[in-house]
Amino acid sequence: MTNTQIPAVRPQQQVAEAAPAPRPSARERGTRLLAALFLAPTIVGIVIFTVVPIVGSIVLSLFHWNVIDSPTFAGAANYREMVNDSTVLVSFRNTLVFMVLAVALQLLVALTLALAVNGRMPVWLRSVFRSAFFFPLILSAASISVVMKYLFNQDFGLVNWLLGLIGIAPVPWLTSENSAMAAVILVYVWQQFGFSFLLFVGGLNNIPKEIHEAASLDGATGLRKHLSVTLPLLSPTLLVASVVGIINALQVFEQPYVLTNGGPGDSTRTVVMVIYETAFEQLRFGEASAVGVLLFVLVMAVTALQFRLSRRFVHYQ
Amino acid sequence: MTDSHFSRRALMRYGAYGAGAAALAGTAASWDRLTGADIPGRDDGSLVVATLGPAYGPAAIRTLTEGFKKVHPDIKLRINAVQATDWSDFFAKILTQIAAGTAPDLVYVATEGVQLFAQRLGVALDKWVKRDADELREYFADVHPSLVESMMYEGSLYQLPVEFNAADIYLNSQVLKRAGASFPAADWTRDDFTALLRDMKKSSGSQFTPYFWTNRLWGGVVPWLFANDTNLLSESKAPGGSWLWDSFYPAADRQGRGGGYRWTTPQATHERVEEAYDYLASLIQEDLCTRPEGGNGQNLIGVFSTGRVGVTPAGGFWAGGLNLAGMKDGSFDVQYFPRWRTQRMQFGAAGYALLRTSKLQDEAWEFIKFASRRDTLMRLFETNQTTPARRSMLTADRYREMGPSHWQVFYDTLDKFPDTGPIPAPPQVAEVEQVLLKHTGTALASRRSVAPALRRMQSDLEKAMERDV
Repeated sequence: MTNTQIPAVRPQQQVAEAAPAPRPSARERGTRLLAALFLAPTIVGIVIFTVVPIVGSIVLSLFHWNVIDSPTFAGAANYREMVNDSTVLVSFRNTLVFMVLAVALQLLVALTLALAVNGRMPVWLRSVFRSAFFFPLILSAASISVVMKYLFNQDFGLVNWLLGLIGIAPVPWLTSENSAMAAVILVYVWQQFGFSFLLFVGGLNNIPKEIHEAASLDGATGLRKHLSVTLPLLSPTLLVASVVGIINALQVFEQPYVLTNGGPGDSTRTVVMVIYETAFEQLRFGEASAVGVLLFVLVMAVTALQFRLSRRFVHYQ
Repeated sequence: MTDSHFSRRALMRYGAYGAGAAALAGTAASWDRLTGADIPGRDDGSLVVATLGPAYGPAAIRTLTEGFKKVHPDIKLRINAVQATDWSDFFAKILTQIAAGTAPDLVYVATEGVQLFAQRLGVALDKWVKRDADELREYFADVHPSLVESMMYEGSLYQLPVEFNAADIYLNSQVLKRAGASFPAADWTRDDFTALLRDMKKSSGSQFTPYFWTNRLWGGVVPWLFANDTNLLSESKAPGGSWLWDSFYPAADRQGRGGGYRWTTPQATHERVEEAYDYLASLIQEDLCTRPEGGNGQNLIGVFSTGRVGVTPAGGFWAGGLNLAGMKDGSFDVQYFPRWRTQRMQFGAAGYALLRTSKLQDEAWEFIKFASRRDTLMRLFETNQTTPARRSMLTADRYREMGPSHWQVFYDTLDKFPDTGPIPAPPQVAEVEQVLLKHTGTALASRRSVAPALRRMQSDLEKAMERDV
């Protein structure tokens, strides 16, 4: 006896599914073409300004090139040199430390202030706070860093002068290996948190009031309400803010370059600083590209990990 | 009719789309695209001269372009003032222009880049100098041979120096008075210097730093290395150059001259280098000077002019800067760098380097000669923003209004201390400077960190010097 299987669907359905999908109508085809036309500039832009440089960097990482002479094929030599270069390795460690601390602080500050601004206060005051917190983001990072460098100067800076008024000895903000990274992070977070802040304000406004009211009726108050209701419902926003924050933090350049020039020693030297110095100061474009490729892989890996983890921690309404 | 056939309306619509796309593509293809050559002055036969932007304002550019036009109306000139924070940044931008295929004909290059440009990009000026020897005799008679030698590489001359700056010591008169100290003697020693800093510190508040210095190749640790009779890299002279010395300089000035400097073996772990770092570390420990990361040129004028700093190393360029900051003659003065084992001082010079890629090399040479003429430099350096390479330009008249009183120090640094030489700047200068700055920061964290940091500096310098630029 043959093992006859009962079809899971009725024959009519099978026929319907096996049949080729109906061709789109002329109207649909026109709409698709129009969509493609509108998307074309963006796609062309991404190809020219993102894809081509990425491919170019990967190719260049296999060559020795000093701008002046023609490139010569180097195989994996640039990658070997990179992993043997202590400055490169330290810069990756610094960048990862920077990323973890800066993004954590940025999200914490932004969320705290967003919750505060979302509380009870006059509308005009809320507008003032929103603008004030966002304002640093529209300024040039280099300009801010120049000003901060003056403020944090150990000998002549305003910060130490103010501390001196209350009897605190001058702090070597930018000149000590122990405090330089902290100062760079503070300056970075001060400028960057405005973006996450705006996202959180938007996210908080999207949480239905009824849910908070229901939680209140169930007896949840204060911190418990935020931990059990606000945070889970804000998790999609938190994901976006952290992805953008991490990608930006991994590419940090202006603040450490202007504030400390990577010092003291290598204590605040970041990967992008090493790429710039290797390429444009030492004219080793191949090795700089190899470092760039590794940074690209790191950014991709961290972002992929975030999205993978988000399946567990992010709750969509 | 099924969907597989176009309706008349759809056909017309697609036809219109196609025609529109074809028109767009045709327009894009036929459009004159903008390239680097479209920037005014490029590829129009102009002689392009790249200068360091902050040092060449609109007035200086006008002086050069209008003056040159009068002498050479047939040569179109374009000054490209490249904005950069320092020489290293400037060279990086010039190299980017070269990579982009828009190389200038001439580049204003300081000692930091003389050998890099000479080795990889420059054209030796020897043939033109020999050809126009009679015309140039007056120039060389007016310019110290040390400056000329600093522009030579492996026996050939690559630039005519137009300016230089030695690291002399500027003193704030108000701070000196407050400390009850007198103006130091020309042969003052390192110990005199330290004693002066201590006096200044005692007589001033906590917001005062006696000695301010900037961690960079010029004027940072290097003057102390020179004073302690050592250098970051071993220094020697290339053979050759007699074609120039014999033609333009008297026998006394030819003594010991060669074909340019050679900086080769790193010697960061040399005991005298360590001594110099130990000394600076001790000043930092005593709160007598800024840490390397603390000092930078941007805020120096402000803190010096307001009496929050007592002394700092700077060149003739600072006389003009302090004047602009409101300091009058008498409120500051300048003295030689103090003696340690020697009183050898360091300088950096600058002039125009001719690039190999230039198709206007003869015209470029004419500009080089024009830019080194006395009348040109007189107009260009009116505000004392540098020390002119021509000795005859340093007169009492020039410094009468803005000071300093001891303005002779600027040029006498070369005349009275003939072993004074350029900062160590081999073709690998970018990496050498970066290694120096980085490890100077860690070396001066404490006196105990000097030796380990110098060992790391030595290792990194060896790697840097092994590399072909």
